[in-house]
Amino acid sequence: MTVPVLLAVLAASIIMATAIGAVAIPPGVTLRIIAAKLTGLLDLEGIAANTVSIIWQLRLPRVFLGVLVGASLALAGVSFQGLLRNPLADPFTIGVSSGAATGAALAIFLRQFFGLSFPQMVPLFAFAGAFAALFFVYNLAKIGGQVPVETLLLAGVVVSSFLSAVISLLMVLAGENMQGIFFWLSGGLLMRSWPEIWFVLPYLAAGFLILISYARDLNVLLMGEEAAMSLGVNVEKTKKILLVTSSLVTAAAVSVSGMIGFVGLIIPHAVRIVTGPDHRILLPASALVGASFLVWADVVARTVLAPQEIPVGIITAFVGAPFFIYLLRKKKREIRL
Amino acid sequence: MDLKIQDVTFAYGEHAVLRGTTFYVPQGSFLGIIGPNGGGKTTLLKLLSRLLLPQGGCILLGGQPLAAFNRKDLARNMAVVAQDTMASYQFTVEDVVLMGRAPYLGRFQSESLADYEIVHHALAVTGCSHLRERLITELSGGERQRVMIARALAQQPKVLLLDEPTAHLDIGYQQEILDLLKHLSLSEGLTVVAVLHDLNLAAYYCQKLVLVHNGRIHASGHPSRVLTPENLEEVYGIRVLVTPHPVFGTPQVSLLPGSRRRQRKVAPPVHIIAGGGSGGELLRDLVEAGYTVTTGVLNVGDSDWEAARALAVPVVAEAPFSGISEERHKEHLAMLEQAGAVVLAEIPLGHGNLLNVEAALAAAEAGKPVFILEERGEVERDFTGGEGAKLLNAVKAKGIVIREKVGLYRALKEIFGGPLNLPAEAEPPADK
Repeated sequence: MTVPVLLAVLAASIIMATAIGAVAIPPGVTLRIIAAKLTGLLDLEGIAANTVSIIWQLRLPRVFLGVLVGASLALAGVSFQGLLRNPLADPFTIGVSSGAATGAALAIFLRQFFGLSFPQMVPLFAFAGAFAALFFVYNLAKIGGQVPVETLLLAGVVVSSFLSAVISLLMVLAGENMQGIFFWLSGGLLMRSWPEIWFVLPYLAAGFLILISYARDLNVLLMGEEAAMSLGVNVEKTKKILLVTSSLVTAAAVSVSGMIGFVGLIIPHAVRIVTGPDHRILLPASALVGASFLVWADVVARTVLAPQEIPVGIITAFVGAPFFIYLLRKKKREIRL
Repeated sequence: MDLKIQDVTFAYGEHAVLRGTTFYVPQGSFLGIIGPNGGGKTTLLKLLSRLLLPQGGCILLGGQPLAAFNRKDLARNMAVVAQDTMASYQFTVEDVVLMGRAPYLGRFQSESLADYEIVHHALAVTGCSHLRERLITELSGGERQRVMIARALAQQPKVLLLDEPTAHLDIGYQQEILDLLKHLSLSEGLTVVAVLHDLNLAAYYCQKLVLVHNGRIHASGHPSRVLTPENLEEVYGIRVLVTPHPVFGTPQVSLLPGSRRRQRKVAPPVHIIAGGGSGGELLRDLVEAGYTVTTGVLNVGDSDWEAARALAVPVVAEAPFSGISEERHKEHLAMLEQAGAVVLAEIPLGHGNLLNVEAALAAAEAGKPVFILEERGEVERDFTGGEGAKLLNAVKAKGIVIREKVGLYRALKEIFGGPLNLPAEAEPPADK
């Protein structure tokens, strides 16, 4: 029940968010353009070519990317919270995003000072950074073939703070040109288009399938690792699969959108309050809510101070924090796993 | 399925926890693991449930090495109820018990109607049906423990392992859960292995006990062979009395005053005249307080006689179920001569023990302080048709009637001086 409703909400959000912008385009026209482009069955007679291109080349990719990034972060957030059995965990907790940020900062730095440049350089560097951080944290946390949750958290925090120092150093070295790095760190969907979408989509799709197939194991893991073992779950293997999957989903999203905070933390909690902790519902529901949330946050980011843009990470935090407090005070279910 | 544990060893790093453990659990039996804290009980249970792997020896489940089972197969044959259950997630009780079906389900398979039926049966058996929709976080400790047992039963195991399943429960729930386990072992052939703390519950419910101490099996077998005063003193360092359960004859363990060295009061003995259980508590308290205590005349087998014997208190004893003979009376009077004070406990008065009251009267007439304990006061305790009451009143006229034991202890302290057996007084604090 929950999932179809959320799916409808997301579809409506996509159309409305695409219609909103500096040039007002009615939602009906927007829908027609999207339908025509996607199916190739409708004709676009009577619609200005430049309207079509605003929708198809500028707004829709951005909205779609919002969908993918929002879903990825929320999904990874659910997985990390369940895996680490820690309500404060989010996709950034174990240092993957710090790795991505360091990679991106390095790419921007190299481009500015050494003129090194190639297409998709920043996302590729970010992804490599995320992967390196995951590799490092994982091996740091591994003790005799096992990855205890506590050491994983600690290793993540340590690596994160180390990488923060590296980023700060790069920003200091960049001097007056540090704005590029700063903007990337704040997170945003500006100037993104179809290539980024094709970059993120496979990770999200594969990640979702893997995570949903481990939904019952995630539930059982919440009862404690020993209980999970006696219920027949291969705990260490499951943890490794969940860890790597969630990290890759996070890494792909962060590589194209920067550090968009709060989505991966609050969306899982907000959804859990409504659906309960069963991951078989929690995972898809959180992905859908995360997608809708980021789409609307991005609408606010690009319209509220138009023509100036605000990094969407600022909006998510601005909206997210008070909303979270509201949930915390209002609802019967407590904020826990 | 039976369990065979053969020469199992385990160490956490350098610290050996189990050093060569061997025992056998037949199918359908209820085995209790007992022993002091840190003795290796929980480690043993974790080895049995394959949460830990033995470093030496092996464990056979139904004749197969435990290591040979694949995970799901093991979970279908063996369920574990842990000591403390995390409950920081907001699953409903039904969701939690449904997790017990996980070992039977494939990755993309969802629970069938049959699974729900098994879950509802497990809830019914454990008395949790009414909790089905409740959140696990809202339950009391006892309810949560029963839900965990329901989850284990939903696994439809052949062997059930429990680590102190009754640790945080009141006596009502303790009985309920142990009754359930006993029932399952007797009627469904479930093999139950439980770590238990309460020796009396263990003796009452288990067919076989294993006493684990310092990583070894100190004793194993029928409760009556394991729960002996010698074993318990060696393992727990406690002094106990083991008596048969008044109805079923299973061994029951009663604590005796600790074996720590008492500061003996150099004073004439306090003599207690009691019988039929009226004097046990008095004897214990006075011995604990450091008095020299004597008692008589008691019938052999009387509970006060047992108490005197257990406390090593000198006693003038008469044959079982016999009236006091002239000889014993004389012996008693001689003992009373030595006493510094006499306490007449609240004994029922019958023709068999009137001589004891006469002895008390003689002591009072000889000028000894005689305390007559009357805590229950008005309850009729004269079964001699007036003779006993008359005698008692004569004693009362010469003695001191005491309404509460604490009053007696205060009075004795007055007579013999100084508080006894208080470490602070017995050993003055060392100067700095």
